[in-house]
Amino acid sequence: MRFLKDIFAGTLTLLTGMRVTLQHFLRPPVTTQYPLEKLEMSEAYRDVIVLIEKEELGTHDCIDCQACVRVCPSMCIEIEGHRPEGLKRKRATKFEVDFALCSECGLCLDVCPTDTLGYGRDYDEAGYQRSDFIYDLLKPWRSGEETALKRIGEIEAAKAAERDAKKKAAAAAKKAAAAKKDAASTDPPTEKDA
Amino acid sequence: MDRMEVVRADDDRDTYYINMGPQHPSTHGVLRLRLHLDGERIIDAEPIIGYGHRAHEKMAENRDYLQFLPNTSRVDYLSGMIYNLAYCQAIEKALEIEVPERAEYIRIIAGELNRISSHLLWLGTFLLDLGGITPFLYCFDDREKILDILDSVTGSRLTYCYGRFGGVTMDVDETFLENTAAFCTYFHKRLVEYDKLVIGNVIFQERTKGVGIFAPEIAARYAVTGPCLRALGQARDVRKDEPYGIYERFDFAVPTCEKGDCFDRSIVRMEEMRQSLAIIEQALRDIPSGPVMAAKVPKRIRPPEGEYHFGVESARGHFGIYIVSDGSDIPFRMKLRTPSFAHISTMPEVLVGTMLADTVAILGSIDIVIPEIDR
Amino acid sequence: MSPNFVEIFGNPWLAILVAMSAIIGYLTLNALMLIWLERKLSARIQRRMGPTEVGPYGLLQTVADMGKLISKELLTPEHVQKPLYLAAPVLVFAPVVALCSLFPVSPSWVFHDYNIALVLLLAISGTNVLGIFIAGWGSNNKYAVLGAVRSVAQNIAYEIPLILAVIPVVMTARTLSLYGITEAQSAFPYILVQPLAAIIFLIAATAETNRAPFDIPEAESELVAGFHTEYSGMRFGMFFFAEYSNMVIACGLATVLFLGGWKGPLLPGFVWFFIKVYALIVLMMWFRWTFPRLRFDQLMKFAWVVLVPLAIVNLLVTTIVLKLI
Repeated sequence: MRFLKDIFAGTLTLLTGMRVTLQHFLRPPVTTQYPLEKLEMSEAYRDVIVLIEKEELGTHDCIDCQACVRVCPSMCIEIEGHRPEGLKRKRATKFEVDFALCSECGLCLDVCPTDTLGYGRDYDEAGYQRSDFIYDLLKPWRSGEETALKRIGEIEAAKAAERDAKKKAAAAAKKAAAAKKDAASTDPPTEKDA
Repeated sequence: MDRMEVVRADDDRDTYYINMGPQHPSTHGVLRLRLHLDGERIIDAEPIIGYGHRAHEKMAENRDYLQFLPNTSRVDYLSGMIYNLAYCQAIEKALEIEVPERAEYIRIIAGELNRISSHLLWLGTFLLDLGGITPFLYCFDDREKILDILDSVTGSRLTYCYGRFGGVTMDVDETFLENTAAFCTYFHKRLVEYDKLVIGNVIFQERTKGVGIFAPEIAARYAVTGPCLRALGQARDVRKDEPYGIYERFDFAVPTCEKGDCFDRSIVRMEEMRQSLAIIEQALRDIPSGPVMAAKVPKRIRPPEGEYHFGVESARGHFGIYIVSDGSDIPFRMKLRTPSFAHISTMPEVLVGTMLADTVAILGSIDIVIPEIDR
Repeated sequence: MSPNFVEIFGNPWLAILVAMSAIIGYLTLNALMLIWLERKLSARIQRRMGPTEVGPYGLLQTVADMGKLISKELLTPEHVQKPLYLAAPVLVFAPVVALCSLFPVSPSWVFHDYNIALVLLLAISGTNVLGIFIAGWGSNNKYAVLGAVRSVAQNIAYEIPLILAVIPVVMTARTLSLYGITEAQSAFPYILVQPLAAIIFLIAATAETNRAPFDIPEAESELVAGFHTEYSGMRFGMFFFAEYSNMVIACGLATVLFLGGWKGPLLPGFVWFFIKVYALIVLMMWFRWTFPRLRFDQLMKFAWVVLVPLAIVNLLVTTIVLKLI
């Protein structure tokens, strides 16, 4: 008797399973037909790093500090820079990332002092040889470099002028305070001075 | 070896050797199992590992603590978030950095979501090995939802570099919390469906009941942890025994079973998924607002000279990080104790006497990840 | 009685030639369609799309696959036993063509009406295990031999419930001719009076054709590919072809025995026949994509411990009831 009950119970579980697959059969497929339909990447999606524009400069702000080069665990960033004439800060002239080595850890973004690194949005990276994956991050910025340098020069000059003005004001205030102190003091010179 | 030599007579019995792997559809990764068979029965099984060795521990000796972060996810890519956060917590314990509350809650949510996704993958591939191809697709569909949720905040789907010493990189927003809550509601129904399609199926039960029983003394000798141990009846869970993070604030049960066969291990993992959902729901309810990064994190991570150990409960068992520091930027030695290494070591003793078809079921049920064995 | 095909054509050799061409043509079309159906059905069950690119709704996908298989190099590995290795695909396919000629598709579409058609069918279908075994043995490969040995045991074990499920139908219809059995179901199909026999027959037929959940001989995840591990190109295609044709034969037999063959209102006979056959095939595919595989010893146990006793009990009950009526 238990034999028949077991068979019956077993068959019932099989039929329940078949019902589940039937329900799934009647639902629409969940496939996104890439490349005809493309997926939207999330805001935080990590792809090749790019240089982000800083608003007040109108360009990127890589100052060739080599912090990202030092922190990268895969050693895939190469930067060279120079100090343009008349400017205080350095400017990068070569910024190459070997994306084949990058592990998307995000450490370079964390250590960048000017916050000028960010993630790109493309995910269709394909190439025929390894050199296809050495990305030049300065490519979109090269054409506007001249105007950028001029702008940086102006901003720096403005900042320098502001600093000078503040220094002068501080020095003048100090002198005035010292003079006031001298005038206010009525004590005759003591023996100590002699 | 001469290819005509198909059968080698050995001692009077007609036994033969079969090499399962390293390229085989059902050894999960590049595992080579050299089986000595007598008909369909296994006389001896020898796992040969090392095909996935990538020298993570050696890399740790050449990178400083911050630079080792991406490696942690790749040790066990299915519990990548848990391992990444475990490493962060290990260093935070060594340097006594205090993590803000919101970051702790976020870590709990991300870790438990990772645990669910790892168990889902285990379920899919286990059924795939047993011959039922359809649940694999359903599990991956559910996993897509988890990966999309985690992708929206961390930017990665499988190997996360989300934790930092002192907190996490990015804060979560309202959409993340809403999506996670919606996922929890959706997944409760899916678990019922999996019960009907998989666990309740008589063929699945016939394949897994009574198969691959671990004797408790084998478990003790080889330091088996995780769901394999809990299926034997021992309620050991690092989150309860040695709580880390803020796990003591959460109310969850540690599922156990009695016999320790493949079916019990499956039941334990299905129940663990439910408990993870409970933890996530509690965390979503109680998450406070605030910063996600500690205020004072030292610029140079230099744990004082000494030895530090930190253990967490990953999806597979007890994962331990053991750091020997000589006071410099770079660790002197970092040892990663992975649960799958202990589990694969039990195979020679557990597989003897079983049949070839059971090998596949047992290997699938102990849920090993080969890169974790080889590191 | 049924018309005689040979008389229509006069010359028996011409009749045989026409029959064989028709059957092989139909089987090719059938395989093309069934492979497409299987892929689409499995895809929809798994919430994916299935083939969509080649032809409308991917209908020409199988044609493309066949073209690919035919264009492949027929690689004969060095260590195989050539005569057996080369003979196996042919041996697997040959019985199928013979069997297809026995089915009464409609009252006027029968190649020849044997009065022992059922016995002939069961006898010839027993030889398809020979092809599988020769394939495994000739491949000189551990995995293939394992698959072949399992297949032989499985096939022999499931022949018994198959025949035991067929006997009650024969007793009810009082004839061994397939045409006659279909005719005897004018009032009601036999599935209503012999439900247990129908279920046993379906399960045994699934096992005979090596379909899941009984597909141990070709268990992909355990033995790489079972008995056809060493075959590539069109030789591998022949095994596939034979499997799908066997499915049609098994379901065709089930239709004739239990579902009433060509009987049905409104539509012409052959349409009903094919509708019933393909409905059963869809059912077999549904089984495949829902259930995991049975382990080999459980498979054998299921045949001997569950199916055979149930079939014998069914036979006894039928005998008693028929005697009483």
